[in-house]
Order: sequence, then structure tokens, then C-alpha cells
Amino acid sequence: MIRRAVLGIYSLLIVVPLVVIVGGSFKTTPDLFADPFGPPVNPTLGNYTTVLTGQGLLGVLGNSLFVVLISVPVTLLLGSLVAFAVARLPKWQSRILFGIFALGLAVPAQAIMIPQYVQFERLGLRNSLTGLILVNIVVTLPVAVFILAGFMRTLPGELYEAAEIDGAGPWATFWRIAVPVSYPSIAATAIFLVVMHWNDLLYPLLFIDDPAKRTLPLALLDFQGEYLTEYPLLFTGVVVASLPMILAYAFLQRHFVAGITAGAVKG
Amino acid sequence: MKFKLWFFAAPALVLYGGFFLLPAVQGLRYATTDWDGYSPTFTEVGLANLTDVVSDDDLFRNALTNNLKFLLAVVIGQTALALLLAVLLAARSRASTFLRALFFLPTVLSSVSVAFIWKFVYDPNFGLANNLLDLVGLDSWKSAYLGDESTAILWVAVAQVWFHAGQMMVVYIAGINQIPEELYDAAKTDGAGRWQQFRHVTWPMVAPATTLVIAYTTLQSFKAFDLILGLAGNPPRAGLDVLATRIYSTFANSQLGYAAAESIVFMAAIALVTWLQNRAGKAVHR
Amino acid sequence: MTTYSRRNLLKLAAGAGAASFLAACAGPGGDSATKAETSGDLSFAHWRAEDKEVFEQIITEFQKSKGVAVRQDISPSNDYQSTALQKLRGGSIGDAFTAFRGAQFLDIAKAGVSTDLTGQSFLSKYEPSLITAGATGGKQYGVPYQLVFNTPLANTDLISKAGLGEAPKDWQGFLALADKLKSQGVTPIAWPGGDAANAGQLLNIMVVNNAPTDDALGKIETGEFKVTDDWFLTVLKQYAELRPYFQDSATGTSSDAALALFAQGKAALLATGSFQVSGVRKLGATFPVDLLAPITTTADKAKYEGVFNATFILGVNSKSAKQDNARAWIEHLSDPAVAGVYANGTSQHVTVKDVEYTNADLKALAPWLTRKTALAPRFQFTNLDIRGAVENATVAVAGGKSPEQAAEEAQKVIDQKR
Repeated sequence: MIRRAVLGIYSLLIVVPLVVIVGGSFKTTPDLFADPFGPPVNPTLGNYTTVLTGQGLLGVLGNSLFVVLISVPVTLLLGSLVAFAVARLPKWQSRILFGIFALGLAVPAQAIMIPQYVQFERLGLRNSLTGLILVNIVVTLPVAVFILAGFMRTLPGELYEAAEIDGAGPWATFWRIAVPVSYPSIAATAIFLVVMHWNDLLYPLLFIDDPAKRTLPLALLDFQGEYLTEYPLLFTGVVVASLPMILAYAFLQRHFVAGITAGAVKG
Repeated sequence: MKFKLWFFAAPALVLYGGFFLLPAVQGLRYATTDWDGYSPTFTEVGLANLTDVVSDDDLFRNALTNNLKFLLAVVIGQTALALLLAVLLAARSRASTFLRALFFLPTVLSSVSVAFIWKFVYDPNFGLANNLLDLVGLDSWKSAYLGDESTAILWVAVAQVWFHAGQMMVVYIAGINQIPEELYDAAKTDGAGRWQQFRHVTWPMVAPATTLVIAYTTLQSFKAFDLILGLAGNPPRAGLDVLATRIYSTFANSQLGYAAAESIVFMAAIALVTWLQNRAGKAVHR
Repeated sequence: MTTYSRRNLLKLAAGAGAASFLAACAGPGGDSATKAETSGDLSFAHWRAEDKEVFEQIITEFQKSKGVAVRQDISPSNDYQSTALQKLRGGSIGDAFTAFRGAQFLDIAKAGVSTDLTGQSFLSKYEPSLITAGATGGKQYGVPYQLVFNTPLANTDLISKAGLGEAPKDWQGFLALADKLKSQGVTPIAWPGGDAANAGQLLNIMVVNNAPTDDALGKIETGEFKVTDDWFLTVLKQYAELRPYFQDSATGTSSDAALALFAQGKAALLATGSFQVSGVRKLGATFPVDLLAPITTTADKAKYEGVFNATFILGVNSKSAKQDNARAWIEHLSDPAVAGVYANGTSQHVTVKDVEYTNADLKALAPWLTRKTALAPRFQFTNLDIRGAVENATVAVAGGKSPEQAAEEAQKVIDQKR
């Protein structure tokens, strides 16, 4: 009984705000204020047309996609190369290499954003998607290394040695053995990185000035100013920005849970 | 031949060293100046910034206090809730699989989205929470939420728990599923009830998971930048200011040197809290 | 061969990396990036989302006559206050830009972001006394465009229903009016206490008559005056007296919620200013509006009847590659006919001379142009932390904190940040 009650109440706590948000995105402002809970009386798609046309939101979606499509594979590649080195180097060297990256886990981006801002400004990398991609890679590398090295280290050494006896160099061993065997761990890391990079606000806020280069969370934050907290429009923005992630989550649920949790545990 | 492997790590090391470690070190340099971030000139102030941050800055101390309040509320609230949900959903069944997926859902949203959702929940005049209280006749519980200087940060903590409890629940479920069934059987033969089984089997056995959850939640709480900016606006008012937003405000107020000094103290605070947690963790497990 | 070239590549990358880090390592000081070009259209950066549509009309006209397309880059006013300087400095937005009077304008000028407009012919189209806020160090770095009244808006229907013929002339009269309104079931004052940018607007009118000098808030920042001084304690105590007359949960109320309460006729006063008239109309309100300032002293001691501000300071970005077009855009806005379109479309007065106000609300507020109003004092603060501390004290008092305690805490922050 208690179990049911607890689960029921928590389900409502999750569902009710989400339903109100989605419902609200089909209402006009006065309708929403008049009855926040009820279903939309005169459902309108007006909010969606406003948000999608007036905001260049499609361009913004494109930017987010572009950033994620480049920064995630690059982080994965660089991270798994390091992880491979960590797994194969002699013990003390491996520890040093791993330690360098582990250091980054304890340093939140908010603590180094000020010098980073100046550095990127000087290099002309601020206000560019390239700069954003670069900083995404750098900031999430420690987590990627942590997850991937954690996995690759557990693989038996014989696996690699057998390949090396066959005459394969480390490069070949990496691509033919380490990467395929680590596939589940790489997939989990990939999902973690996608969610991190897709949802990041801090660096776009610091680095991106040009509205044409904004990513989704930043564009969403700007909604507050553009629409003076007209809730239905904010809600529409929330729905549009969240939909891709929620759809992906619906189809790749297990991988999402594994990935985000791995990131949480390791990062 | 093994040294060749360092070449594998080289590209990552160059980028990470150059754009992560180097700025971290450069921060130390900025922290000893009064540079405003744009002037060609600046003055060396030595350790004055640091001593000011530590001993003579109520705004920073207020942000630190808020941050610790937030940290404590989230760590306790989120850990307890995640464990409770995990215990209730550890058994495999259709319903529990569905509920796990549902509770995890908020985690995939962006913090700005979560902030907007809760901004509406908390709006004292038109929002969900007060309207709901009206509906069920609990008018006396109505509150200004984020407008209440002394409790505002705790309301943000509630939003944060809503955001991430599902994620921590999954960590706990993994921990619980690793507990051998025999331990419960043994406890049952000893006549242990549900609570005693939890107290003597589950709780000690999920200790490693608890350590992880707390460590992660701690770091997450220090980073609660997006959520607060979305909920409180920029810059947030005193009642909602945390260390990350304080640093950002200082930076926006054209005091780059001072902001760098604040960043250093910020890192020190995280290190200290993490160290204390480790000590406390060891003491508890002994 | 392949490994060799790969190694070379690595070396190259490492070398390039090292060089750029050294460059970036130069430490504090020094000048930053080169001139950046904004993509495409001329960028006009401002914070008035409410004015977006009217500006679009003006832009269309401008494009027809000058062949230059203008893009509006709008940020929320709070955000604009805290991030505009950094963004403008990069040169990627705001070929033409606006600045708040006070801290922001001075910082932008000091950072060399605004170009000197002294001697530009369009300056003659402005009321000279109203554009002094755009000058510093003897040079005209910008032109204030809007003339707004940071004085509470009044729903005159509700006020006259409360049975008072004319606006109260002193503090007791104001409290009596508030009491009367409350007894009629109306919220006397809607105040966005939860919105830092707008919560502070009320401070203007609360200060002007209480303050011993016109630059009293500036003197708080320099340390000559303290918020623990009697006159400022009076201000805070009056906030305490207003507690019952604000809407419920005033300290958590957003700007838009306060606006909605006023527009729906649930509140008689909106404690922000004339710049929200267009917002009120947008929500469908049809009642007539006027300004109603709480006179915080006795009638004989009251120096001012209200508060005005000349703000939305137009400037040309020195980091921009399109300065000529930016100047042309400002010149276009300076035309009395164009300024009239802006004024009547947004329900705001402007600093441009010879503008014909046809908008009913502007006509209703026109008498205020010649009444005795003070220049809004809150913009005397040049340090945002200090302004925040002072304004926070007023919110804290409205939320229940004792005036003495709030003043003491604020003064401590001021002393630390001075």
C-alpha cells in the first residue's frame, strides 16, 4: 500500500508539470492564466509557428546538431586513445597519465571559465562554433577517459598480447581489438557526451555572442527576454528543445540509462 | 616500445593541457591583479584579492552559505529519495521497468528547460504550486517560493532533486541487484522484518553506491549554474546566489582579477568538502 | 611513409598549439582580438523586446531609403546589463547598440567601445538638456533616445473609484489612498519584487524627496553617505509601511506577473514606470492610465512630483566594420517623423525635438513632460554589486526584515565593494 502510494505520488510529481507544460504550449497566455491545469480549450498552434519561424530556431537546432556531431566523435576518439594507453602502459606511467585526466574530474568548468574566456578571446576562438566544439571536447575528456579507461583496464592483457604476437602494432591492436571489444562502454560514453554537449549552457553563454551561432539551451534562455516570460511560448521552446532528446531516450532507453549513469558515477 | 603509447595520448594531452590545465594555472596569475578584462593596463595587488574573498566579502560568503545549504539539502534529499525509489523498484516487473524509465526522464532534459518548468511551478501569482494548494484547500501553505529570501535556495534544491533523483536511483538499483539473495534469506530466517532487512542487509551492502551518489551529487551541487540562472535570472538575487553565479556576476561587473581569485577559493571549497566527505565516509564504514 | 607523415602532423599540431598557447599566455592587460564583422545585416543590439515590432517597421523604411538591412539582437534587460559590454567588445553584435544610463554607459565608453559622436549633425535634432547623459569627459559618446517616467502607473478608473479627486500630496495621503483601495478589494500596488531589474524602479521615487541631495545614491557609492543614515532609514521604513499594500508574495513576483495583475484591473498601481504602458495595452487593458507618485514627505518638503529617465543610449561600436551604416541608422532614428513612429508605436516619449505624440497614452502622460520631475537616481550607481546590495535591502524590508538590520547588512557590502 505504502509502496503504491509513494510511487503514485512521485509519478504525479514527474508527470503533472510535464503535462501542464505540453498542454500550455497549445494555449494562449490568458487561457493559461485562467486555467493552468485543464486541457487547452481552444488549442492553438500559434506558439509553435511563432517559436519556429520568429526565432530562427531551425538554424539554432542546426548549430546544436553540428556541435554535437563533431565534438562527440572527436572526444570519443581522443578519449579512447588515451584509455588504450592507460590500459597498456607500464603501471607507473599509466598512473601518471590517468592521474592527469582524473585531476580534471574534480575541477568544475565554472572554476576555470574566466581564464578560458580570455584565452579563447585572444586566440579568436570565441564566438565561433569551432571554439565551442574545442571547449566541449576539452571539458568532457576527463569523464570520457575515466569511463573508457575503467573499461579497457579490465580487459585481460592476453587479448592484446595475442594480437601483438601476430605482428600487429599498437595502432592495429587499438582498432582491431580494443575498440570493438569496448563497444558497450564506448556507446555508453557517446550517449553521456551527447546529453552533456546538447544541454550545455555555460560555454554557449560565455562564448557565443552572435544570435546566428546560438545553440538550443542559449536560445531557450534568451526566450525570457524576447517574450517577457510569456509562459506558453517558453513552454513551446521547452518542448521543441527537449523533443529530440526525449525521442532518442524513448528508443534507446537502456543505453541512455547506462550512459548517463556511467557518466554520473565516473564524472 | 611501450613509450609509443604516449603518442596515442598526445593529441588529447595537448588539447587538454592547453585549454584546461593551462587556463587553470593562468587563473592564479589573473588573481593577483585588478584587471578589469578589457583595459591594456592593470595593477598588481598581490594576495589582496584572495584575502578579500576569504575574509572581507559578504556577497561571496552569502553565496558560499547558499551553496552549502543547497548542497546539504540536495545531498540528503536526493540520496534518500533515490534510495527509497530504488528499494521500491529493484524487483523486476513490467510496472517497475516503466516507472524507472519515467523517473529517469527529467535527466535527459536541459537544465534551462527544467528551470523554466519550475519557474512556472513557483510563480506565486499564476503558478502551479499555489494554484494547486488553493485547489486542495491548503491556502495557508502558499508561499512566495523563490521570493522568500531565507528559503529560496531550498526551493531550487527541490527542482534539482526532481531533475536528478532518477539518475541516482539507477545507481542504487544496480547496487541493490548485486546483493546476493542469500543474505536476505538468512535475515528472514532470523526473523527480520522489512525494515530490519533494509537496515542490516541493504543499507550496508549499498555503501559503495552511497559513496558514489554522494560524491557525484556534491560536485553537481557546486555546478548548479544553469538551473539558477534559468530560475532566478541574471544576475540572481542574494537569496539565490551560489558560488558559480557569484563568479559570473563578478566577471560581468568587469572585475576579472577578482573573479579569478573567487574561482580559486571556489576550487579550494570543493576540495575541502570532498576531503571532509571522504573522512566522514571512512569513519562511517569503519 | 604514412607513419612518418602522421608523426609530422603531430609535431605540427604540437608546435602550432604551443605557439598559440604562448600568445594566449601573455597574462592580463593588452588589447584583444581584431575587428570582427557581424554576419550579414547591420546588428542593432538592445533590450526592448516590447519594441521589436515597431523597430521592424522602422527598419523596413530604413532599408527602402538606404538599402541597409538591420537585424535586432535583443537580450533581456538584466542580461543586457551584465553581458552587453563583453559582447560588444567582441564586435560580433551591436554595430549600433544601446546602453543603460549610468554604470553601463560609462563602462562601455571607458572600454573604448563607443565612438565619439560629437559634432554629428543629427545631434541638433535632440533636446540638448535630455542628452547630457550620453556625454562623458566632454565628448558625446551616445544619445539617449527614450524619455521614460520611472514613476508608478495608475489605473485611473480604480483611483477615482477610491473617491479621491486628485493625487495625494504627502505620505499620509498616499497611505490613506492605499488603505481605501485595499478596503475596496483592490491590490493597491503591484510590485515586481522578484525581478531585480524592475524591483529597483520603485526606489527612484522613494528616494528623490527623502534624499538630502540630488546625487545622494551616488554618494552612497562613494562613501559620503551611508544607507544607515537617517534619510535612507526613512526610505526603508516607508517600504515597511507599504508591506500590506503590495500584492501577496510580492518579493517573488516576476515583472510579467505584476504587469498582468495591473492589466487585469486587480491592482491599482504598477510600481515600475511608463515604459510598461505598451505591455499593459498588449494584455488587452482598456482603462485610462496616468502616473501616480507616492510623495514620501509632507507636502511642503516635496521637491519632486515624479521621476524621469533619459536612457536607451544609442551608440556606434568602435569595433564594428560597419560604422558608417550604424551612424546612418542612428541618424534615421533621430528624424522627428521616425521618432514619432517609435514613440507612438511603443507608448514612450523620446528625446527628439518636435515629435508629434498622437498615441492616447502619450497624450495622457504629456503633462508630465513639464512637471517637476527628478532624473532617476538609481542609475547613479556605477558598481552593480553596490546597486544590488541597496536594492536588495528594499526587497528584504518589503519581505519582512527590519529596516535597521537590512541597512546594516547592505552597508557592510557597500563598504567591502567600494
